[in-house]
Amino acid sequence: MITLTAPAPGGEFQAPTPNELFDLPPIIAGVEWFTKPVLLAALSAILVIGLTWAAFSKPKLVPRGMQNVVEYGYMFVRDQVARPFLGKDADRFMGLLVTLFFLVLVWNLAGVVPFVQFPVASHIAFPAVLAISIYLLKIYLGIKHQGAGGYFKNMMFPPGLPKPIYVLLSPIEFLSNMIIAPFTHAVRLFANMFAGHMLLAFFSMVGFWFLFEKLTPLGAGVGVVGVIMTIVFTGFEIFIQFLQAFLFAMLASMYIGGSLHAEH
Amino acid sequence: MSAQERRPEEDGRDFADAMWSIPSYLLAGMAIYGGAGWLLDRWLDMSAFFPIGTVLGLVLAGYLAYRKFSR
Amino acid sequence: MSVLAEVSGNVTAIGYGLAAIGPGIGVGIIFGQGVQAIARQPEAYGLIRQNMLLGFVLTEALALIGLVAPFLFANL
Repeated sequence: MITLTAPAPGGEFQAPTPNELFDLPPIIAGVEWFTKPVLLAALSAILVIGLTWAAFSKPKLVPRGMQNVVEYGYMFVRDQVARPFLGKDADRFMGLLVTLFFLVLVWNLAGVVPFVQFPVASHIAFPAVLAISIYLLKIYLGIKHQGAGGYFKNMMFPPGLPKPIYVLLSPIEFLSNMIIAPFTHAVRLFANMFAGHMLLAFFSMVGFWFLFEKLTPLGAGVGVVGVIMTIVFTGFEIFIQFLQAFLFAMLASMYIGGSLHAEH
Repeated sequence: MSAQERRPEEDGRDFADAMWSIPSYLLAGMAIYGGAGWLLDRWLDMSAFFPIGTVLGLVLAGYLAYRKFSR
Repeated sequence: MSVLAEVSGNVTAIGYGLAAIGPGIGVGIIFGQGVQAIARQPEAYGLIRQNMLLGFVLTEALALIGLVAPFLFANL
Protein backbone atom coordinates (compact mmCIF):
# COMPACT_ATOMS: atom_id res chain seq x y z
CA MET A 1 0.00 0.00 0.00
CA ILE A 2 2.72 2.46 0.92
CA THR A 3 4.61 2.03 -2.33
CA LEU A 4 1.40 2.56 -4.27
CA THR A 5 0.63 5.95 -2.77
CA ALA A 6 4.14 7.40 -2.74
CA PRO A 7 4.54 8.07 -6.49
CA ALA A 8 1.18 9.82 -6.85
CA PRO A 9 2.03 13.50 -7.42
CA GLY A 10 -0.09 16.10 -5.62
CA GLY A 11 -3.14 16.85 -7.70
CA GLU A 12 -5.04 13.99 -9.31
CA PHE A 13 -6.10 10.45 -8.66
CA GLN A 14 -4.15 7.90 -10.68
CA ALA A 15 -5.24 4.32 -11.04
CA PRO A 16 -2.62 1.65 -10.32
CA THR A 17 -0.81 0.48 -13.46
CA PRO A 18 -0.09 -3.18 -14.19
CA ASN A 19 3.62 -2.48 -13.99
CA GLU A 20 3.69 -1.40 -10.40
CA LEU A 21 1.29 -4.15 -9.40
CA PHE A 22 2.90 -7.11 -11.08
CA ASP A 23 6.55 -6.24 -11.61
CA LEU A 24 7.88 -7.05 -8.17
CA PRO A 25 11.52 -6.56 -7.05
CA PRO A 26 13.64 -9.42 -5.67
CA ILE A 27 13.38 -9.93 -1.94
CA ILE A 28 17.06 -10.66 -1.27
CA ALA A 29 19.13 -7.97 -2.96
CA GLY A 30 21.62 -10.14 -4.80
CA VAL A 31 19.43 -13.03 -5.91
CA GLU A 32 17.60 -11.82 -9.02
CA TRP A 33 15.02 -14.57 -9.43
CA PHE A 34 13.75 -14.81 -5.86
CA THR A 35 10.80 -12.44 -5.99
CA LYS A 36 7.55 -12.46 -4.05
CA PRO A 37 5.62 -14.69 -6.51
CA VAL A 38 8.39 -17.31 -6.37
CA LEU A 39 8.38 -17.22 -2.58
CA LEU A 40 4.58 -17.55 -2.52
CA ALA A 41 4.62 -20.46 -4.97
CA ALA A 42 7.19 -22.28 -2.86
CA LEU A 43 5.23 -21.64 0.32
CA SER A 44 1.97 -22.87 -1.22
CA ALA A 45 3.66 -26.04 -2.40
CA ILE A 46 4.97 -26.65 1.14
CA LEU A 47 1.51 -25.88 2.55
CA VAL A 48 -0.27 -28.36 0.26
CA ILE A 49 2.32 -31.07 0.88
CA GLY A 50 2.17 -30.51 4.64
CA LEU A 51 -1.62 -30.52 4.69
CA THR A 52 -2.02 -33.76 2.79
CA TRP A 53 0.83 -35.38 4.69
CA ALA A 54 -0.71 -34.49 8.04
CA ALA A 55 -4.04 -35.84 6.89
CA PHE A 56 -3.19 -38.99 4.98
CA SER A 57 0.11 -40.28 6.35
CA LYS A 58 -1.56 -42.56 8.91
CA PRO A 59 -5.10 -43.01 7.60
CA LYS A 60 -7.67 -44.58 9.88
CA LEU A 61 -10.90 -46.22 8.84
CA VAL A 62 -12.96 -43.75 10.88
CA PRO A 63 -11.36 -40.37 10.14
CA ARG A 64 -10.53 -37.98 12.95
CA GLY A 65 -9.20 -34.46 13.06
CA MET A 66 -7.11 -33.37 10.07
CA GLN A 67 -7.98 -36.43 8.02
CA ASN A 68 -11.67 -35.66 8.44
CA VAL A 69 -11.30 -32.13 7.08
CA VAL A 70 -9.05 -32.92 4.14
CA GLU A 71 -11.11 -35.97 3.25
CA TYR A 72 -13.98 -33.58 2.65
CA GLY A 73 -11.93 -31.89 -0.07
CA TYR A 74 -10.84 -35.26 -1.44
CA MET A 75 -14.46 -36.40 -1.76
CA PHE A 76 -15.35 -33.16 -3.51
CA VAL A 77 -12.62 -33.66 -6.11
CA ARG A 78 -13.50 -37.32 -6.56
CA ASP A 79 -17.25 -36.82 -7.02
CA GLN A 80 -17.34 -33.56 -8.96
CA VAL A 81 -14.11 -33.58 -10.93
CA ALA A 82 -12.81 -37.11 -11.39
CA ARG A 83 -15.80 -39.45 -11.53
CA PRO A 84 -17.94 -37.60 -14.15
CA PHE A 85 -15.14 -37.68 -16.72
CA LEU A 86 -12.94 -40.61 -15.84
CA GLY A 87 -15.52 -43.14 -14.69
CA LYS A 88 -13.82 -46.22 -13.37
CA ASP A 89 -10.29 -44.90 -14.00
CA ALA A 90 -10.86 -42.13 -11.49
CA ASP A 91 -8.77 -43.69 -8.74
CA ARG A 92 -5.63 -43.79 -10.87
CA PHE A 93 -5.68 -40.05 -11.39
CA MET A 94 -6.89 -38.88 -7.99
CA GLY A 95 -3.39 -37.94 -6.86
CA LEU A 96 -2.90 -35.63 -9.82
CA LEU A 97 -6.34 -34.06 -9.63
CA VAL A 98 -6.32 -33.48 -5.86
CA THR A 99 -2.88 -31.90 -6.12
CA LEU A 100 -3.94 -29.66 -9.01
CA PHE A 101 -7.10 -28.52 -7.28
CA PHE A 102 -5.54 -27.77 -3.90
CA LEU A 103 -2.45 -26.13 -5.36
CA VAL A 104 -4.40 -23.79 -7.64
CA LEU A 105 -6.81 -23.03 -4.79
CA VAL A 106 -3.98 -22.03 -2.43
CA TRP A 107 -2.36 -20.00 -5.21
CA ASN A 108 -5.58 -18.11 -5.83
CA LEU A 109 -6.51 -17.56 -2.18
CA ALA A 110 -3.11 -15.97 -1.58
CA GLY A 111 -4.57 -13.03 -3.47
CA VAL A 112 -6.96 -12.07 -0.67
CA VAL A 113 -5.00 -13.04 2.45
CA PRO A 114 -3.94 -9.80 4.21
CA PHE A 115 -0.23 -8.90 3.96
CA VAL A 116 0.29 -11.51 1.24
CA GLN A 117 -2.18 -10.24 -1.36
CA PHE A 118 -0.72 -11.62 -4.53
CA PRO A 119 -2.54 -14.29 -6.56
CA VAL A 120 0.32 -16.43 -7.81
CA ALA A 121 -1.54 -17.42 -10.97
CA SER A 122 -1.50 -13.83 -12.22
CA HIS A 123 1.97 -14.37 -13.64
CA ILE A 124 1.36 -16.34 -16.84
CA ALA A 125 4.29 -18.70 -16.18
CA PHE A 126 2.61 -20.58 -13.34
CA PRO A 127 -0.65 -21.63 -15.06
CA ALA A 128 1.28 -22.15 -18.31
CA VAL A 129 3.54 -24.78 -16.73
CA LEU A 130 0.57 -26.70 -15.33
CA ALA A 131 -1.37 -26.49 -18.60
CA ILE A 132 1.61 -27.64 -20.66
CA SER A 133 2.22 -30.62 -18.40
CA ILE A 134 -1.45 -31.65 -18.64
CA TYR A 135 -1.21 -31.22 -22.42
CA LEU A 136 1.81 -33.50 -22.67
CA LEU A 137 0.07 -36.03 -20.41
CA LYS A 138 -3.01 -35.92 -22.65
CA ILE A 139 -1.02 -36.62 -25.80
CA TYR A 140 0.98 -39.38 -24.11
CA LEU A 141 -2.12 -41.11 -22.77
CA GLY A 142 -3.95 -40.74 -26.07
CA ILE A 143 -1.16 -42.33 -28.03
CA LYS A 144 -0.70 -45.07 -25.44
CA HIS A 145 -4.38 -46.03 -25.27
CA GLN A 146 -5.49 -45.51 -28.85
CA GLY A 147 -2.32 -45.95 -30.86
CA ALA A 148 -0.43 -43.14 -32.56
CA GLY A 149 -2.50 -43.10 -35.75
CA GLY A 150 -5.71 -44.06 -34.01
CA TYR A 151 -5.58 -41.12 -31.59
CA PHE A 152 -5.36 -38.51 -34.30
CA LYS A 153 -7.78 -40.33 -36.54
CA ASN A 154 -10.41 -40.51 -33.80
CA MET A 155 -9.86 -36.87 -32.95
CA MET A 156 -9.98 -35.45 -36.46
CA PHE A 157 -12.61 -37.67 -38.05
CA PRO A 158 -15.52 -38.10 -35.68
CA PRO A 159 -18.05 -40.58 -36.98
CA GLY A 160 -21.36 -39.46 -38.40
CA LEU A 161 -20.37 -36.72 -40.83
CA PRO A 162 -20.65 -36.94 -44.61
CA LYS A 163 -17.33 -37.84 -46.18
CA PRO A 164 -16.48 -34.76 -48.30
CA ILE A 165 -16.90 -32.47 -45.29
CA TYR A 166 -14.02 -34.22 -43.53
CA VAL A 167 -11.43 -32.45 -45.62
CA LEU A 168 -12.75 -29.05 -44.66
CA LEU A 169 -13.43 -29.79 -41.03
CA SER A 170 -10.49 -31.85 -39.86
CA PRO A 171 -8.06 -28.89 -39.63
CA ILE A 172 -10.59 -27.17 -37.41
CA GLU A 173 -10.81 -30.18 -35.11
CA PHE A 174 -7.06 -30.56 -34.99
CA LEU A 175 -6.35 -26.91 -34.23
CA SER A 176 -9.08 -26.76 -31.64
CA ASN A 177 -7.93 -29.81 -29.71
CA MET A 178 -4.19 -29.48 -30.04
CA ILE A 179 -3.51 -25.78 -29.83
CA ILE A 180 -6.47 -23.83 -28.53
CA ALA A 181 -7.29 -26.22 -25.69
CA PRO A 182 -4.04 -25.89 -23.68
CA PHE A 183 -3.85 -22.19 -24.47
CA THR A 184 -7.30 -21.45 -23.09
CA HIS A 185 -6.66 -23.81 -20.19
CA ALA A 186 -3.83 -21.60 -18.96
CA VAL A 187 -5.15 -18.23 -20.07
CA ARG A 188 -8.55 -18.69 -18.44
CA LEU A 189 -6.95 -19.01 -15.00
CA PHE A 190 -4.39 -16.28 -15.69
CA ALA A 191 -6.87 -13.72 -17.03
CA ASN A 192 -9.33 -14.21 -14.19
CA MET A 193 -6.66 -13.77 -11.52
CA PHE A 194 -5.02 -10.83 -13.31
CA ALA A 195 -8.27 -8.96 -13.79
CA GLY A 196 -9.42 -9.67 -10.23
CA HIS A 197 -6.16 -8.39 -8.77
CA MET A 198 -6.31 -5.23 -10.89
CA LEU A 199 -9.88 -4.52 -9.84
CA LEU A 200 -9.15 -5.07 -6.14
CA ALA A 201 -6.13 -2.78 -6.35
CA PHE A 202 -8.18 -0.15 -8.16
CA PHE A 203 -10.99 -0.11 -5.63
CA SER A 204 -8.64 -0.05 -2.64
CA MET A 205 -6.72 2.80 -4.27
CA VAL A 206 -9.96 4.75 -4.71
CA GLY A 207 -10.89 4.23 -1.07
CA PHE A 208 -7.43 5.08 0.25
CA TRP A 209 -6.96 8.14 -1.95
CA PHE A 210 -10.27 9.77 -1.33
CA LEU A 211 -10.35 9.11 2.39
CA PHE A 212 -6.74 9.52 3.51
CA GLU A 213 -4.63 11.22 0.88
CA LYS A 214 -6.89 14.05 -0.14
CA LEU A 215 -9.85 14.27 2.16
CA THR A 216 -12.41 16.65 0.70
CA PRO A 217 -16.13 16.79 1.61
CA LEU A 218 -17.20 15.76 -1.87
CA GLY A 219 -14.51 13.12 -2.20
CA ALA A 220 -15.32 11.40 1.08
CA GLY A 221 -18.48 9.91 -0.41
CA VAL A 222 -16.50 8.44 -3.29
CA GLY A 223 -13.98 7.10 -0.79
CA VAL A 224 -16.65 5.35 1.24
CA VAL A 225 -18.07 3.82 -1.94
CA GLY A 226 -14.53 2.64 -2.77
CA VAL A 227 -14.12 0.94 0.60
CA ILE A 228 -17.52 -0.75 0.40
CA MET A 229 -16.81 -1.92 -3.15
CA THR A 230 -13.46 -3.33 -2.00
CA ILE A 231 -15.16 -5.39 0.67
CA VAL A 232 -17.94 -6.61 -1.62
CA PHE A 233 -15.49 -7.35 -4.38
CA THR A 234 -13.19 -9.33 -2.13
CA GLY A 235 -16.10 -11.63 -1.33
CA PHE A 236 -16.88 -12.04 -5.02
CA GLU A 237 -13.21 -12.61 -5.74
CA ILE A 238 -13.03 -15.48 -3.25
CA PHE A 239 -15.91 -17.15 -5.07
CA ILE A 240 -14.23 -16.62 -8.45
CA GLN A 241 -10.94 -18.02 -7.14
CA PHE A 242 -12.62 -21.18 -5.88
CA LEU A 243 -14.50 -21.52 -9.17
CA GLN A 244 -11.36 -21.09 -11.27
CA ALA A 245 -9.49 -23.71 -9.26
CA PHE A 246 -12.42 -26.11 -9.73
CA LEU A 247 -12.60 -25.35 -13.46
CA PHE A 248 -8.86 -25.88 -13.92
CA ALA A 249 -9.02 -29.32 -12.31
CA MET A 250 -12.24 -30.20 -14.14
CA LEU A 251 -10.78 -29.33 -17.55
CA ALA A 252 -7.63 -31.30 -16.78
CA SER A 253 -9.84 -34.26 -15.91
CA MET A 254 -11.89 -33.76 -19.09
CA TYR A 255 -8.80 -33.74 -21.32
CA ILE A 256 -7.42 -36.85 -19.65
CA GLY A 257 -10.77 -38.59 -19.95
CA GLY A 258 -10.95 -37.64 -23.62
CA SER A 259 -7.68 -39.41 -24.35
CA LEU A 260 -8.49 -42.50 -22.32
CA HIS A 261 -11.78 -43.30 -24.07
CA ALA A 262 -12.16 -42.33 -27.72
CA GLU A 263 -14.65 -39.60 -28.48
CA HIS A 264 -17.92 -41.04 -29.70
CA MET B 1 -31.35 -49.71 -12.89
CA SER B 2 -27.70 -49.04 -13.60
CA ALA B 3 -28.54 -47.83 -17.11
CA GLN B 4 -30.91 -45.26 -15.62
CA GLU B 5 -28.27 -44.10 -13.15
CA ARG B 6 -25.59 -43.85 -15.80
CA ARG B 7 -27.70 -41.67 -18.11
CA PRO B 8 -27.56 -38.38 -16.13
CA GLU B 9 -23.80 -38.68 -15.70
CA GLU B 10 -23.30 -39.36 -19.39
CA ASP B 11 -25.61 -36.49 -20.31
CA GLY B 12 -23.80 -34.15 -17.98
CA ARG B 13 -20.44 -35.17 -19.38
CA ASP B 14 -21.57 -34.80 -22.98
CA PHE B 15 -23.03 -31.41 -22.26
CA ALA B 16 -19.84 -30.20 -20.55
CA ASP B 17 -17.78 -31.50 -23.50
CA ALA B 18 -20.00 -29.59 -25.89
CA MET B 19 -19.96 -26.37 -23.93
CA TRP B 20 -16.20 -26.17 -23.69
CA SER B 21 -15.46 -27.22 -27.23
CA ILE B 22 -17.96 -25.01 -29.09
CA PRO B 23 -16.13 -21.68 -28.59
CA SER B 24 -12.83 -23.35 -29.35
CA TYR B 25 -14.22 -24.82 -32.60
CA LEU B 26 -15.46 -21.36 -33.59
CA LEU B 27 -12.12 -19.74 -32.80
CA ALA B 28 -10.18 -22.48 -34.55
CA GLY B 29 -12.34 -22.20 -37.65
CA MET B 30 -11.87 -18.45 -37.80
CA ALA B 31 -8.12 -18.81 -37.24
CA ILE B 32 -7.54 -21.45 -39.90
CA TYR B 33 -9.62 -20.06 -42.72
CA GLY B 34 -8.83 -16.47 -41.81
CA GLY B 35 -5.16 -17.36 -41.83
CA ALA B 36 -5.53 -19.10 -45.19
CA GLY B 37 -7.33 -16.03 -46.53
CA TRP B 38 -4.57 -13.78 -45.21
CA LEU B 39 -1.87 -15.88 -46.90
CA LEU B 40 -3.90 -15.75 -50.12
CA ASP B 41 -4.03 -11.97 -49.77
CA ARG B 42 -0.29 -11.74 -49.46
CA TRP B 43 0.20 -13.96 -52.47
CA LEU B 44 -2.28 -12.13 -54.70
CA ASP B 45 -1.73 -8.67 -53.19
CA MET B 46 -5.41 -8.12 -52.48
CA SER B 47 -7.11 -7.30 -49.25
CA ALA B 48 -10.49 -8.98 -49.48
CA PHE B 49 -9.77 -12.63 -48.79
CA PHE B 50 -9.03 -12.22 -45.12
CA PRO B 51 -12.55 -11.17 -44.06
CA ILE B 52 -14.10 -13.68 -46.45
CA GLY B 53 -11.94 -16.46 -45.03
CA THR B 54 -12.74 -15.49 -41.46
CA VAL B 55 -16.49 -15.50 -41.98
CA LEU B 56 -16.30 -18.72 -44.00
CA GLY B 57 -14.31 -20.37 -41.21
CA LEU B 58 -16.89 -19.22 -38.68
CA VAL B 59 -19.74 -20.70 -40.70
CA LEU B 60 -17.92 -24.00 -41.26
CA ALA B 61 -17.03 -24.31 -37.60
CA GLY B 62 -20.61 -23.56 -36.65
CA TYR B 63 -21.75 -26.31 -39.00
CA LEU B 64 -19.23 -28.72 -37.46
CA ALA B 65 -20.42 -27.94 -33.96
CA TYR B 66 -24.03 -28.37 -35.04
CA ARG B 67 -23.44 -31.73 -36.72
CA LYS B 68 -21.36 -33.04 -33.88
CA PHE B 69 -23.48 -32.04 -30.92
CA SER B 70 -27.05 -31.81 -32.14
CA ARG B 71 -27.57 -35.22 -33.58
CA MET C 1 -17.15 23.71 -34.15
CA SER C 2 -15.25 22.91 -30.99
CA VAL C 3 -14.60 19.44 -29.64
CA LEU C 4 -16.94 18.59 -26.78
CA ALA C 5 -15.61 15.20 -25.77
CA GLU C 6 -12.78 13.02 -26.92
CA VAL C 7 -11.91 9.37 -26.62
CA SER C 8 -8.23 8.57 -26.66
CA GLY C 9 -6.56 5.21 -26.58
CA ASN C 10 -7.82 2.07 -28.21
CA VAL C 11 -11.29 2.50 -29.65
CA THR C 12 -11.47 -1.12 -30.77
CA ALA C 13 -11.56 -2.23 -27.14
CA ILE C 14 -14.65 -0.09 -26.61
CA GLY C 15 -16.07 -1.54 -29.81
CA TYR C 16 -15.65 -5.08 -28.56
CA GLY C 17 -17.13 -4.19 -25.20
CA LEU C 18 -20.24 -2.84 -26.88
CA ALA C 19 -20.37 -5.82 -29.23
CA ALA C 20 -20.36 -8.25 -26.32
CA ILE C 21 -23.56 -6.86 -24.78
CA GLY C 22 -25.92 -8.48 -27.28
CA PRO C 23 -24.51 -12.00 -27.25
CA GLY C 24 -24.22 -11.84 -23.46
CA ILE C 25 -27.93 -11.18 -23.10
CA GLY C 26 -28.70 -13.70 -25.83
CA VAL C 27 -26.77 -16.54 -24.22
CA GLY C 28 -28.36 -15.75 -20.87
CA ILE C 29 -31.85 -15.96 -22.35
CA ILE C 30 -31.08 -19.18 -24.20
CA PHE C 31 -29.79 -21.05 -21.22
CA GLY C 32 -32.24 -19.54 -18.76
CA GLN C 33 -35.22 -20.62 -20.83
CA GLY C 34 -33.55 -23.95 -21.57
CA VAL C 35 -33.10 -24.76 -17.91
CA GLN C 36 -36.69 -23.77 -17.21
CA ALA C 37 -37.90 -26.02 -20.00
CA ILE C 38 -35.88 -28.94 -18.65
CA ALA C 39 -37.34 -28.34 -15.21
CA ARG C 40 -40.85 -28.44 -16.55
CA GLN C 41 -40.41 -31.54 -18.69
CA PRO C 42 -37.32 -33.57 -17.82
CA GLU C 43 -38.01 -36.30 -20.35
CA ALA C 44 -37.51 -33.84 -23.22
CA TYR C 45 -33.88 -33.24 -22.16
CA GLY C 46 -32.34 -34.49 -25.40
CA LEU C 47 -34.48 -32.28 -27.62
CA ILE C 48 -33.97 -29.19 -25.47
CA ARG C 49 -30.23 -29.78 -25.31
CA GLN C 50 -29.92 -29.95 -29.10
CA ASN C 51 -31.72 -26.67 -29.57
CA MET C 52 -29.85 -24.95 -26.74
CA LEU C 53 -26.51 -25.85 -28.28
CA LEU C 54 -27.62 -24.72 -31.73
CA GLY C 55 -28.73 -21.35 -30.41
CA PHE C 56 -25.54 -21.00 -28.41
CA VAL C 57 -23.35 -21.62 -31.46
CA LEU C 58 -25.10 -18.96 -33.50
CA THR C 59 -25.05 -16.37 -30.72
CA GLU C 60 -21.42 -16.98 -29.82
CA ALA C 61 -20.47 -16.52 -33.45
CA LEU C 62 -21.58 -12.91 -33.24
CA ALA C 63 -19.46 -12.29 -30.16
CA LEU C 64 -16.41 -13.74 -31.88
CA ILE C 65 -16.98 -11.62 -35.00
CA GLY C 66 -16.95 -8.63 -32.65
CA LEU C 67 -13.61 -9.85 -31.32
CA VAL C 68 -11.92 -9.87 -34.74
CA ALA C 69 -13.78 -6.92 -36.26
CA PRO C 70 -10.87 -4.43 -35.81
CA PHE C 71 -8.64 -6.72 -37.83
CA LEU C 72 -11.29 -7.39 -40.44
CA PHE C 73 -12.04 -3.76 -41.15
CA ALA C 74 -8.54 -2.37 -40.82
CA ASN C 75 -7.47 -2.76 -44.43
CA LEU C 76 -10.81 -2.99 -46.15
